[in-house]
Amino acid sequence: MTIKNDSFGRFDFVGKAWLFGGISLFLTIASLIYLAVNGINYGIDFKGGTEIQVKFAQAVTIEDLRKSIDDLKLGEVGVQSFGEGNEYIVRFQGRTGKTDKETNEILNADLTQIRGVITTKFASAEPDIRRVDTVGPQVGAELKRNGLLAVFYCLLVILIYVALRFDYKFAPGAVLCLFHDAVITLAVFVAVGKEVNVAILAAIMTLIGFSLNDTIVVFDRIREIEGHHHEKGFGFVINRSINEMLVRTLITSGTTFISAICLYVFADGTVEDIAFAMCVGIFFGTYSSIYVAAPLVLLMEKLNLKKARA
Amino acid sequence: MEGLRWRSILAALGVAAAIVWVLPNVINFGEKAWWPSKQKLNYGLDIQGGLHLVMGVDVDGVVSESTNRLITSMKADMQKENVAFKDVKSANPNLGELTIDVNDAAGKAAVEKFLSEKYSTVLQVMNSTDTSITTRYFDAYLNDYKNRVIQQAIETIRNRIDEFGVAEPSISQQGSNRILIQLPGMADAEKAKQLINTTAKLDFMIVSNEKSQQELQAMIADAEKAGNYNMTTMKYSDYVTKLNADLAAKLPEKSVIYFEKSANATTMEAGAIPFLLKTDTDLGGNALDDAFVGYDQYGAPQVSLHFNSAGATKFADLTGNNVNRQMAIVLDKVVKSAPSIRDRIAGGQAVITLGGGRDRNGMMDEAKMISTALRAGALPASLEQLEERRVGPTLGADAIDKAKLGSYVGAAIIVIFMLVYYRAMGVVASVALGVNILSLFALMTSMGFTLTLPGIAGIALTVGFAVDANVLINERIKEELRLGHGITVAVKEGYHRAMSAIIDANVTTAATAVVLLYFGTGPVRGFAVTLLIGIVTSMFANVFVSKVIVDLLVHKFKVKKLAV
Repeated sequence: MTIKNDSFGRFDFVGKAWLFGGISLFLTIASLIYLAVNGINYGIDFKGGTEIQVKFAQAVTIEDLRKSIDDLKLGEVGVQSFGEGNEYIVRFQGRTGKTDKETNEILNADLTQIRGVITTKFASAEPDIRRVDTVGPQVGAELKRNGLLAVFYCLLVILIYVALRFDYKFAPGAVLCLFHDAVITLAVFVAVGKEVNVAILAAIMTLIGFSLNDTIVVFDRIREIEGHHHEKGFGFVINRSINEMLVRTLITSGTTFISAICLYVFADGTVEDIAFAMCVGIFFGTYSSIYVAAPLVLLMEKLNLKKARA
Repeated sequence: MEGLRWRSILAALGVAAAIVWVLPNVINFGEKAWWPSKQKLNYGLDIQGGLHLVMGVDVDGVVSESTNRLITSMKADMQKENVAFKDVKSANPNLGELTIDVNDAAGKAAVEKFLSEKYSTVLQVMNSTDTSITTRYFDAYLNDYKNRVIQQAIETIRNRIDEFGVAEPSISQQGSNRILIQLPGMADAEKAKQLINTTAKLDFMIVSNEKSQQELQAMIADAEKAGNYNMTTMKYSDYVTKLNADLAAKLPEKSVIYFEKSANATTMEAGAIPFLLKTDTDLGGNALDDAFVGYDQYGAPQVSLHFNSAGATKFADLTGNNVNRQMAIVLDKVVKSAPSIRDRIAGGQAVITLGGGRDRNGMMDEAKMISTALRAGALPASLEQLEERRVGPTLGADAIDKAKLGSYVGAAIIVIFMLVYYRAMGVVASVALGVNILSLFALMTSMGFTLTLPGIAGIALTVGFAVDANVLINERIKEELRLGHGITVAVKEGYHRAMSAIIDANVTTAATAVVLLYFGTGPVRGFAVTLLIGIVTSMFANVFVSKVIVDLLVHKFKVKKLAV
């Protein structure tokens, strides 16, 4: 790919800014509406409850397991088959007591009962309880609060850094872009029926860092060549910067995507979910740093000029 | 190229140090090997399996109870000293607040005098009316008290977990009223939970001198031999129960054998000292109000005990009847200390002086340990289980194998791509990637960080992302070459001009990682840690080491063309 000195490069990104801006706006709003209507399927990390992962050496049907646990009458219990063979995840929220303390006690008592059923009733199938997670209501609420705070502070830190290191006209573009990526990724994640827990939140936060990284590299180039091509207008500068960084953006996103997809294919459990979130996020993050972030800077610049003229 | 020699040496040293730290993870050098580093990488509970518990400590409950006890003993004291008052009550016992109602101005003056004589270090007067005085604990005292409650709960839990011989238990305070317990590789998690959840039991027992140490040791050895068991093969509590059952016929009436851990032994099994104790004292935790570290007139640490009124009478009788004998302080069947009784102690206040001839720190530690044990029995904080995560060993092993495989495949594809796309510079980038991963594990190992499952995801992503710096540099070199610069200039400018983008990119990723580290818990922090370390090592490998390699090629070996 050769770039002649007087052209902005192969692709006219800025010219199609309205088209892609519209698509992004639509996707973001659609995601927000979807999340608002459908709700986020929180894992037990956030809503409290218990998850038991059990593997049987002999065949046990999901119906048998579900029925035995339903017989305990502990409220709604979900049983889901997991991996291959006779492995299941039993999930339950536990009934709510009058106080958090009571809920906690009920949760712990229920857990003991279910373990009892699994180890005695299915003793002949040689159960191996591989994982138990119980999160009480207090801790769940706290994890949720900390999670939201983390996202907030993360965006704040980024906003300040970009504003200081570059120019304040870059900052809103970067942050809106990150918001766009995070919301769409979350919506896709929820749409495929996965649960949002602490690790996923961490993945989405990292994604924010990753997506910003892509955006920053383009911004860095804009800042570098801004002075050289002043006469051709800001749109030209942006187009040229994106074009010049396009190969780098695609290669880096590509290699990170390869890592993520390999993890997704081979690993399971938490790692699989993190990798899934990363795959989706890298895709939208790359798209947004090419099509969304820089044009937003152009918009800011135009607003600026208008204000200066008025 | 300025300082190339030194930079080469530095890069080589860095890589060598990384190898030194990483190798013990792969090769088992044994304890006495010449290899300088023996540290191994810590695996999180989600990988090695184990039990992770978060217990809530009812600190307010303990403060309330302490306030109520204070009210009772204050009433008794005022009656004894003929201070007239109407009533002592508390509206907010969990703040240590109490109100003393009095009849008239004279009564008020008397109560104020009484308070300033007896409680000047503990209570501050908040406000007073003609008929009442409201006081509360000093803030510093209250905070210190709350802190001691947590510490004693931690101490109690630690004692119990010691029973299981868990390799590396980690028990730590989390926030102001939580305790995080991590027991790697716990097979008997249910039993551990039960033990942690039971309340501490404190007993004062008189040491019987009917059998000598030698006789006791011999009896125990016989019983162990006959029953074919010993302390290392059983849990302490079960062992003690069995031993006493076996020896019941040989021991004097109403006595039991409990053990003390000798001062410098690491575990009970390594240094257990048997004590023959009389069971007929009936003086337990409910007799005690509080215990704390105090100082004698020479400033040496000692343990001060306050008994409540019922306890004071019993304690006076007990000490009076057993002058010159030892009284054992027993917490959960473990003898914590066995001070000698010098005199009858009346009035409900006693001190335990520590044996001299040791350094002050040692005495201080012992005083703290004894007072913590006493308080744990006297005012046991109730614990509430808030979170439990348990991972079986097989699951963690499966998970890490699969995650590793995914990482290897990903890394292999990336290396192939870099070689094909960038050719010579792709080789440099791949070498840098290798150095990056090596230094990442070296740093994780040497700094004692814990590798968790999300941490592995973090490493895999670092691998994917690590090439970014090299991609930026290589693309820049390509641009410079296109502009017609020679290889020397292109390399110099490529590295130089890519730096600002590399730094910006890394700072923003680091910022999110730091936020994650601050707000995250457990495995998520592991994820953040690996991301952060990944940034540091990628700067070393992909910028510094790769530059050294390229400079060596261009300047030392005079390579004229580098395929990019």
